Amino acid sequence: MLVGIVHERLNPLASAFMDESPPPPDNESPPPPPPPTYTGSPTDFLKGVVGKKVIVRLNSGVDYRGILSCLDGYMNIALEQTEEHVEGKVTNRYGDAFIRGNNVLYISAAEQV
Amino acid sequence: MDGSASGIQEPFDLIRLSLSERVFVKLRGDREMTGILHAYDGHMNLILSDVEETIMIVDEGDQATVSVAKRKMDMLFVRGDGVILVSPPSRT
Repeated sequence: MLVGIVHERLNPLASAFMDESPPPPDNESPPPPPPPTYTGSPTDFLKGVVGKKVIVRLNSGVDYRGILSCLDGYMNIALEQTEEHVEGKVTNRYGDAFIRGNNVLYISAAEQV
Repeated sequence: MDGSASGIQEPFDLIRLSLSERVFVKLRGDREMTGILHAYDGHMNLILSDVEETIMIVDEGDQATVSVAKRKMDMLFVRGDGVILVSPPSRT
């Protein structure tokens, strides 16, 4: 199953850009440390976001924001404190929600992993 | 994977804990339903009773209007591939 995992720190273009930026002039204070780059497999990412706030986007374009309680190999997802967002508006709230994996487009971390 | 506070190890635990309870189901084709969950399987095929189905009908005219149709069924088999989301009753 192919699933796009969208996360700014996974963006290969961004890290490539960071690598090729010129070194700062010597007369400046040392540059801030680069933003942490995410290394690891998709599975590592998913393990890292369990228990964290995530945004799950479905193929239909609907977003679910909530705390990821767990997921399985089909990418079935259990969310807590879930808000359903359609076109930017909250359309529903669920204490718990089971999302069938075939509907999932991506899982995005909504807080630091 | 850690199940956080609720003691859930896998997503299907959420469904297992909702057996004999009234659940909300969101389906493909702008349909939603609530019913009492009697059985399920790994495809998310469901057996529901005392079901109320809500169908959102979008009329794409000059101004898109949404009308709602409801119907009730005593006993229903839901094929799993139509299921988008299942929400158990809130346990507070």
